[in-house]
Amino acid sequence: MTCREMDDRLDEWVDDTLPGVERREAEAHLAACTDCRQQEQRLRELLTHAAALPRSVSPPRDLWPGIAESLEGQRAWSWPRFAAWPPALAVAAAVVIALGAVLFGRPSPAPVHTVVIPSPAVSEGARLHPAALEMGSGLVAMETDYQAAANALMEALLERQDEMEPETLASVQQNLAVIDQALAEVHRALEKDPNRPELGRMLVSTHRKRVDVLRKMVRLSTAL
Amino acid sequence: MGDGLAVPALGDRSIPNHVHDDRRATEWRLVQDAQGGDLAAFERLYRDNERRVFAVCMRLSADPALAEELTQEVFIRAWRKLGSFRGQSAFSSWLYPLTVNVGLTERRSRRRRLARIVPTDDATTLEPPTPAPTPETGFDLEKAMAGLPPGARHVFVLHDVEGRTHDEIAALLGIAVGTSKAQLHRARKLLREALAS
Repeated sequence: MTCREMDDRLDEWVDDTLPGVERREAEAHLAACTDCRQQEQRLRELLTHAAALPRSVSPPRDLWPGIAESLEGQRAWSWPRFAAWPPALAVAAAVVIALGAVLFGRPSPAPVHTVVIPSPAVSEGARLHPAALEMGSGLVAMETDYQAAANALMEALLERQDEMEPETLASVQQNLAVIDQALAEVHRALEKDPNRPELGRMLVSTHRKRVDVLRKMVRLSTAL
Repeated sequence: MGDGLAVPALGDRSIPNHVHDDRRATEWRLVQDAQGGDLAAFERLYRDNERRVFAVCMRLSADPALAEELTQEVFIRAWRKLGSFRGQSAFSSWLYPLTVNVGLTERRSRRRRLARIVPTDDATTLEPPTPAPTPETGFDLEKAMAGLPPGARHVFVLHDVEGRTHDEIAALLGIAVGTSKAQLHRARKLLREALAS
């Protein structure tokens, strides 16, 4: 064995993981080579130092206040998150109603373009009860994406309202109302049991359905 | 990160089993309380683990000031992920991969922005923090470790300081076992040279 080969195998030698034949060769080389023996001693010394380093080190200052502040901030907006859904749904319902009113040619209580408001619960991002966060952080991101897509489609639909048949618009209203009701039910179930993966899947599927309905309607209105 | 990664518990093995059992039971109650939103319970979990987390973050990042931020980030993420912890392992074992993950992720992102450390294979340039040198040799291992190239340092810290196996390190760092061995060899060689200089 050369010194280069010994150096390559030094880690395995000191870690006692060198296979039998190579181990005997290394042993013979070390017995005859002062330089390699010195390298071996250095490595053993190094590993002794490393193993003796303290495994716990106190931070130079108390880090908890900063953590607590961050978590309190989260709790302040995470705990009422689900409680915030009813108003969020009310907004969604208002959107549907306003959309229906406009689409059906009735007077709208407010300018239509001001009605399409992103759900506060969605736009505030990943603010969840800690027990819900493992699953919830992904869900919040998903909901944000779907909500953004739905909002864009809503706006596109509203722009085309004058070109659509009343029956078509009624169908939009009806479908969205049913889907929003389903979303509300899934959120209520998630509030009770935030870690059930099937509820997460149901939420995704319901959002997807909502966007699909809107997308179909926009496509239909574009084709008109 | 979840409970699936098999890493040894960080507890003191000299403590009798029944004491460990009591501690685990107490710890599990704290976890459950924290999962229910009890911040005081989570603070106790933090107090029990902060020094271990800080030590790992400090050595992985080679930056004590950054390690403070990383330690805070570990516990903030732990709070968010706490719902996934089912008590199959010690809380410290559950926390460990998260600690390493935060250390490495933050390091990567910050390195892009700040380029605080210039990796080197020249052992004479290993000039890091300022802890106490070992009395016998005057060799300051913490300082020398901090001057290693990041990849080599991460593996050295996890293998030779933390006592993780190459399989565990490969899983923690998302690298091949062979890469872990190669980085360890590189780190040890550089540190040997630093020790000799």
